[in-house]
Amino acid sequence: MRKQLLLIAALLATPAAAQLPGLSRRGTPAPPVVQNPLEVMRADFAAQSGGTTIYFTPGGAGLTRQAQMTLAAQAMWLRQHPFVAVRIEGRGDPTDTRDHALALGAERAAQVRDYLVLLGIPAAQVTTMTWGKERPGPPSATTTLQDLGGPPLIPAAG
Amino acid sequence: MKKLGCLIGALGLLLVAAPAVAQPTVAVVALPPMTSPDTGTKGNESLGYAWQATQLIETDLRQTAELMPLSPNRKDYYSYPEVTAPTFSKWRDRGAKGLVTGFVQQRSDGRLTIGCYVYDVEKGRELGRIGFVATPSDMRRAAHKCSGLAYKALTGSPGMFDTRIAYVAETGPAASRVKRIAVMDSDGYNHSYATPGGTTVLTPRLSPKGQRLAYVSFDGGVPQVRVINLDSGQQHPLLPGNVMTFAPRYSPDGSQIVFSMMQGANSDIYVVGANGGLPRRLTTSPGIDTDPSFSPDGSRIVFESDRGGSQQLYVMNADGSQQRRISFGNAAYASPEWSPDGKLIAFTWRYGDARRIGVISPEGTDEKQLTAGPADEGPSWAASSRELVFQRTEGGRPGIYRVSLDGSAPRKMTIPQDGSDPNWSGTMD
Repeated sequence: MRKQLLLIAALLATPAAAQLPGLSRRGTPAPPVVQNPLEVMRADFAAQSGGTTIYFTPGGAGLTRQAQMTLAAQAMWLRQHPFVAVRIEGRGDPTDTRDHALALGAERAAQVRDYLVLLGIPAAQVTTMTWGKERPGPPSATTTLQDLGGPPLIPAAG
Repeated sequence: MKKLGCLIGALGLLLVAAPAVAQPTVAVVALPPMTSPDTGTKGNESLGYAWQATQLIETDLRQTAELMPLSPNRKDYYSYPEVTAPTFSKWRDRGAKGLVTGFVQQRSDGRLTIGCYVYDVEKGRELGRIGFVATPSDMRRAAHKCSGLAYKALTGSPGMFDTRIAYVAETGPAASRVKRIAVMDSDGYNHSYATPGGTTVLTPRLSPKGQRLAYVSFDGGVPQVRVINLDSGQQHPLLPGNVMTFAPRYSPDGSQIVFSMMQGANSDIYVVGANGGLPRRLTTSPGIDTDPSFSPDGSRIVFESDRGGSQQLYVMNADGSQQRRISFGNAAYASPEWSPDGKLIAFTWRYGDARRIGVISPEGTDEKQLTAGPADEGPSWAASSRELVFQRTEGGRPGIYRVSLDGSAPRKMTIPQDGSDPNWSGTMD
């Protein structure tokens, strides 16, 4: 419960940073736009970490240097938001067989998770899953901020 | 006019003769209309049922690559005594090797007695008989059993007529595909959906007698094996918790399920009771081990592993001991399934973006490709061990095809929408 309350607090605090990076919103009226705070947070995460998706070579699950840099930025953001959970969704190769694609997607998600944990993110903050080849797209693993359930987070309209 | 008749006659001869040249194993089967001992109004009704049964058997036998039924002629009245004493010479003259016939009799309780007889026409002797008491609505299954008796008697292999096929029914655009588990009799009848479509589902795998079905569902947020009892509709997860499990397959006696489970980045093969329990780990290699399939005697398991650098086929004992590689090609070898007669292993051959269906012996010899792709995968054997179902994707749309071991072209099955991950059961009780 306490975790959820803190999450709500964190969510309510971030929209300004997401919309206008580097600018303070202090003293200005809230914009009259209703936005899902989770989506706002996701946008901030994507902007600050340079991308939520890590790409892999076909058949491979190894992290490239580019992938490691993106994950380092993801980890920095996550360290600043210790009450946010993330889910890593792995994808297999579109032309793979069904079950190998599931396993490879899970392996890619696990490699991303392990690297984030290596960079100091608590394992409890990160879950993984695999889509195999059930969602179109290139071989990849996407880090998604997770809706923890609970009451819907509705920011006040202007 | 007479000339035309001759021409048609000659064509008919050619048509009968042609398959015999191309495929020397095809046996012509005489199929005189089934008859009835009933008389009067009842007799006409019974002859109606008998004609339905005859047509069902014709359809069954025509689906096979090994048997070619002579088209039954309804006007070709066949007396009841002829069922047990056929005129063999008549059918011998028409090139028939086998003969299937029988009768339908109405009982006082409203049910039907259905009797089937199979004969060797060349030797003029009976090969087998089978009898059922069934409601008129169950007559289809009785006819399938007759077809199965004929197939077994004439080819030596079990028939696949009274079997089920499960597959994933697919509708909607690629980005938001709706997937449902569908189950039908192998002739397409009794088509029904076992899951509602709100969640992604994959790889239905029928129990040997077709009463239960294990599949993979994303309902809990990660892929997990679930089990459905098709008679009661009840279902439950195979294992508790949130662990990723997939690639389930029943043991030949239906008592166990072998499957893959993720542990971190590692996928290994486990076996567990068909109703759950404590899984036992069978492989420990650090790579991806998946798609396990039991040999028909339950003593061995074939699976795919990338432990050697690329996906290849391996065989191990059912307790996980003596793991050894059986495929050594440049391509990837995936999704193996052991044939019900134990002689072959079907697999998906993958090279670059191309996928084809092939077979190989359990010793790794006699490798052969059955399809040319370009996007074929997931073979599953018929009970006869002479035919397979598989998924072929064309223009982004998956469909279900049957292919015979004899080298003939794959045939697309008729289903109500797109379909993937087909799986063929053994013969039902």
